[in-house]
Amino acid sequence: MDFELTDEQQLIRDAVREFADTEVAPIAAELDRDHRFPYELLPRMAELNLMGMPYPEKVGGAGADYVSYIIVIEEISRACASTGIILSAHTSLATWPVYKFGSQAQHDRYLPDMAAGRRLGAFALTEPGAGTDAAAGTTTATLHADGYALNGSKIFITNAPHADVYIVFAKTDPDRGARGMSAFIVEKDTPGLSVGEAEHKLGIRGSSTPPLYFADCRVPKDALLGQEGDGFKIAMQTLDGGRIGVSAQALGIAQAALDASVAYAKERVQFGKPIAAQQAIQWMIADMATQIDAARLLVYRAASCIDNGRPYSTEGAMAKLFASETATRVADRAIQIHGGYGYTESYPVERNYRDAKITELYEGTSEVQRMVISRSYLR
Amino acid sequence: MRIVLAYKWTCDPEEATARADGTVDWSRAKPGLSTYDPVAMELARRLAEEAGAELIGVTVGGKGVGAPIASKAALSRGLDRVLIIEDESLADAGRSELAAVLAEAIRHIGGVDLVITGDSSVDVAAKMVPTVLAGELGWPAVAEVTAVTGQDGALRVERAIPGGVQVLEISGPAVLAASADAAVPRVPGMKELLAAAKKPAELLDLSALKVPPGGAVMTVTGRSRPERKARKGQLINTADPAAAAAELVAALRAAGAL
Repeated sequence: MDFELTDEQQLIRDAVREFADTEVAPIAAELDRDHRFPYELLPRMAELNLMGMPYPEKVGGAGADYVSYIIVIEEISRACASTGIILSAHTSLATWPVYKFGSQAQHDRYLPDMAAGRRLGAFALTEPGAGTDAAAGTTTATLHADGYALNGSKIFITNAPHADVYIVFAKTDPDRGARGMSAFIVEKDTPGLSVGEAEHKLGIRGSSTPPLYFADCRVPKDALLGQEGDGFKIAMQTLDGGRIGVSAQALGIAQAALDASVAYAKERVQFGKPIAAQQAIQWMIADMATQIDAARLLVYRAASCIDNGRPYSTEGAMAKLFASETATRVADRAIQIHGGYGYTESYPVERNYRDAKITELYEGTSEVQRMVISRSYLR
Repeated sequence: MRIVLAYKWTCDPEEATARADGTVDWSRAKPGLSTYDPVAMELARRLAEEAGAELIGVTVGGKGVGAPIASKAALSRGLDRVLIIEDESLADAGRSELAAVLAEAIRHIGGVDLVITGDSSVDVAAKMVPTVLAGELGWPAVAEVTAVTGQDGALRVERAIPGGVQVLEISGPAVLAASADAAVPRVPGMKELLAAAKKPAELLDLSALKVPPGGAVMTVTGRSRPERKARKGQLINTADPAAAAAELVAALRAAGAL
């Protein structure tokens, strides 16, 4: 068993860390404070081929393996969790279903631009009454002579309103429940599609997540992704991969909180010596580091399952469950180490703390992950 | 035009620890491109792009400089190919010996019009290799270079001098050492990183070069460092700034510092 990253993975980590440290981290606090979308970072990430990491070069991607892609999400999230999820949602949730389930015509139309970062993607599944119970969505797609008419609404849509391409799930046969759900590629500016007010969130404030409204939103027949009725399967398979992206985001947040804590513990002097000399602090650092390392092994294992063509649903759920809960716990300890200062915006750990919580919620709550994991053992 | 970029694959001293006897423990320090070499690579890359020149990386050193990751790291930053001379005898080689091997490697390549190096190496920081290398080659050496433009036979070189910039025109081959802040190195793109493995990396045996035997032998025979004085940990918590300043002055006088 080899725990070493390949040369390329190590070099990718170094390069993305350099980018994240020099261009992402310096604006992360401002993005958070002003609830500002990082417009300036997207062209830079496209230039570095980060917007289509795991897709083949022939469709505009970087042609990297999935572990490398996950390392990129981890490193970007270490600097800014908002930018991490913007990248992950675009790559794992929007581009992946087009790549996996799209027709040749859809590949030709969307993949080169999405994988090269010229067009940003978003994934629209959640509805006001359908979160964990995704099949309960009430948005409909009614077939007409010239295409489908979409009606309904979606909420918490990462990357809206900046996205150019939306993967939208709607019922083509509402009586069939999950089996009546279909997926569509909807382009921005399609008449009938409108974007609501951005949510005011606890964390990841640089990532906008407004609702979408569909009012007789007409899309052509060839906007259908896969076949009618494939929507639920597409959504679940997409989320299986997306979860690994979120687990990498959680890992990055946790690592940032640990890094800040180690630096602070060495600098902060109380009782005439750095607090790092206190056993209470040492034990907290030890626990944080151990939990992060364990999370990293799970996250990389899940990503390597994809690279090796093995099933990854359970492994991804384990990675997401453990990494997200680790991020929350580690960020909490980071504030404890920083004491009162950790509760202020003077140090990044309060942002880490607020950013961490969402990783236990979106792309499947921790409860859903436990459901997925237990089902694979109790079937 | 053919440009050689001489680079070093080494460990960052910030990641090393000093043992009690003064020797350095490098075991947990991660090897990488010497800190200022990416700056030189950026400078060389811009010139090569402008002049349509071939850009060849050359490195010499002990075990590890020939590792694939070392070549890939260099090749991802715009080099067309690399020539590596890895030999255990070079691990602790002095500046003049390394420069002599580099000079022979450059002669081995042949037709080289310009050599560009980093400002200094992160581990030794002697700033000697470019000058000694130029001496070995019989070429002029220019340090603190901030920009280089032009073509073979008509290079325009800018170098930082105290209080200003000196502009030089160079007609023949030369060795240029880039200043530490000559350029902001580009972060390699993912495609560049992944393509690096497909570029040529030639490992050349040291014995294939006719390196003349060195003259003087220099060996480190002892080490010492100043004793570190214990900190007093004296805190001044007086709220009034004037009183605090007076207290500080009194304390410094008492300690004999003023």
